[in-house]
Amino acid sequence: MKQPVYLDNNATTPVDERVLQEMLPYFTRNFGNAASRTHVYGWIAEEAVDHARERVATLINAHPKEIVFTSGATESVNLAIKGVYEAYSSKGNRIITCVTEHKAVLDTCRHLEKFGAEITYLPVKEDGRINAEILEKSIQSSTILIAVMYANNEIGVIQPVQEIAAIARKHNVLFFCDTAQAAGKIPVDVINDDIPLLSLSAHKMYGPKGIGALYVRRKDPRVKLIAQMDGGGHENNMRSGTLNVPGIVGFGKACEICMSEMDSEAKRLSALRDKLETALVALNNVSINGSTEHRLPHVTNLSFEGATANTLISALHKSVAVSSGSACTSALVEPSYVLKALGLSDERANASLRFGLGRFTSEEDIGMAIEAITGSIKNLRSQSVIN
Amino acid sequence: MKELNDIIQAYEKAVLQNKQTALATVVKVEGSSYRRPGARMLVTEDGVITGAVSGGCLEGDALKKAQFAMQQQQNKLEIYDTTDEGDSRLGVQLGCNGIVYILFEPVKQDDPNNPVQLLRKIAQHRKDAVLITGFNENKYAPQPGTYFFINEPESSLNNEIELNKEGTRVLETGETIISKVENNSVLFQFIPPAIQLLIMGAGNDAQPLTEMASILGWNIIVADGRQAHAAIQRFPKANKVSITSPADILTAAEIDDQTAMVIMTHNYNYDIAALQQIIKTNCRYIGLLGPKKKLHKMLNELKENDIAINDDIEKRIYSPVGLDIGAETPEEIALSVIAEIKAVFSQRSGSPLKERKTSIHHRV
Repeated sequence: MKQPVYLDNNATTPVDERVLQEMLPYFTRNFGNAASRTHVYGWIAEEAVDHARERVATLINAHPKEIVFTSGATESVNLAIKGVYEAYSSKGNRIITCVTEHKAVLDTCRHLEKFGAEITYLPVKEDGRINAEILEKSIQSSTILIAVMYANNEIGVIQPVQEIAAIARKHNVLFFCDTAQAAGKIPVDVINDDIPLLSLSAHKMYGPKGIGALYVRRKDPRVKLIAQMDGGGHENNMRSGTLNVPGIVGFGKACEICMSEMDSEAKRLSALRDKLETALVALNNVSINGSTEHRLPHVTNLSFEGATANTLISALHKSVAVSSGSACTSALVEPSYVLKALGLSDERANASLRFGLGRFTSEEDIGMAIEAITGSIKNLRSQSVIN
Repeated sequence: MKELNDIIQAYEKAVLQNKQTALATVVKVEGSSYRRPGARMLVTEDGVITGAVSGGCLEGDALKKAQFAMQQQQNKLEIYDTTDEGDSRLGVQLGCNGIVYILFEPVKQDDPNNPVQLLRKIAQHRKDAVLITGFNENKYAPQPGTYFFINEPESSLNNEIELNKEGTRVLETGETIISKVENNSVLFQFIPPAIQLLIMGAGNDAQPLTEMASILGWNIIVADGRQAHAAIQRFPKANKVSITSPADILTAAEIDDQTAMVIMTHNYNYDIAALQQIIKTNCRYIGLLGPKKKLHKMLNELKENDIAINDDIEKRIYSPVGLDIGAETPEEIALSVIAEIKAVFSQRSGSPLKERKTSIHHRV
């Protein structure tokens, strides 16, 4: 059976063959524990981890010692928010975040609310970006953290990260930025963007699942964290547990490839994305959700009037793999909270699809997708009242 | 030179025991560190260390890395950042405050030009040499390792024109440097021959002088015309004990500009006879035991005998001998003489470092 065209690269990406090849020896021949100091098996693993750490750090312009490996972005988010909340409890209990954040951030904040945290959920404008003035006004003396993502997972909209960072610095509040969707796709620079805490995920950038990282700045400011996983003091006492060496190796290689191919890929994918978008918008009564100016190059989120996402996805499932929002919440049949936050009606939110292109999306794929989606839309609309 | 000789000996021992070895070399330092570029340490496969790459804080991890390099038969570079207090790998911090780059090279016994063989060839000749070692500051890039040495301008029979040119320059300036050649960094290490110490006068006070010079790895020749004094049993640490009268002193050793001579026969006629000979040579340091009055008397006498004493010769004569440290006993005098010789060869004043306004080491 022919595989459908994969346009759900915001959910996950395939492992690049080059990444896989680099990982393979670390499952078998080089199986050592990176914490084993007494023999060559351990030394090989440690060296591989060091190399990967350097590659990950390079992608975001960090120092290797500022990288803490975790099981993925969700764990990194938990460690960042809970870790800061515990470490800075003497300073305050307020955290500012945003309604369109990933569930990893929102659920972690909800969890902390049960323990006394005061969380401010910033609204977004209809383009999906926060209002920096509202952010600044929300800061109080007991505010310890601002948690706003780099780019949104459903609509690809990029937040005004440097403005947020400047406000955070001005008020001496830490800034945590989830870059799972942005890193490796567009330049993310912890110095230039002034981000002291930042989460990464390997499987969004053609690396393996089950591995991610948290960047924790060492100076200006030195960020303190309380570990959320105890036992062994790995990762500079911030994340215990035997290191996932093959995963880390793959993550490192994935970062290296993203770094070297980022510019050309961003150009190629935005051209393909624009082609797809233009063709679909031309069907009439199709609208783009969120800012088109501040948006990831490989993402578009479209509302198709006169159709529901579920019926469209179902009709398309043999030809195009897409989703109606973030993969993590698609088990629920509720309208996307991100789209609702942009001010969309339930009906329009429920008629929206997210298209995420990727490294292995070809021009031919886009042509096939346009054809399949156009056919399905026309078909669905002919069955309904709107034509 | 002492360290290099120790390493050569340790290597030979390891070869006899059929053991693998790796050579660790400090190739670059940023900030302050105990050892400078060119410091070396030999590690055997079973973990015996000869020489040193730090004041002790890095040796533990360096041993491991050396064994790793042997295991993989591949050159490796490790960068130790002792400025980072959070680095658990280095354990207890010793207050160093620098970044040290150490190159680990497994020594291939069947290679006649392996790094230790090159060191041996350098040590065989009493000549200035420049040892050329390539490394890449990206530790994951291939590490070229020790290339070759030169001890004469453009002497090497290979095609490394760029390396030869820079090496020749270092041979002339006598200052170790690190420069970029193509994509790699290259350490051009200036290695002068070991100091040769010629002692005229084998009295009991020459014994502590010999002992101390031996600790420093100097090449020691003790000479005296008296058979009972010039006995190897009395100077077990000397490389050579020679029964030679002062007038024949130049037959006892090949004098070069890495030679220091101390005249200490306690006899005016013997001393002046030796002095008359040594000033014909390019001996870098001529120490003469006794008061300044005695020196003036000797110089006048030599001049009266139509022996030319120019400024250059006078500059090389150190009398009264030794640094001003209040030395009284033969052992204390030996200390002050040894320290003075070291200072002269390093072109330093011998005054306390606390009074020094500039940095202790010249920047490589």
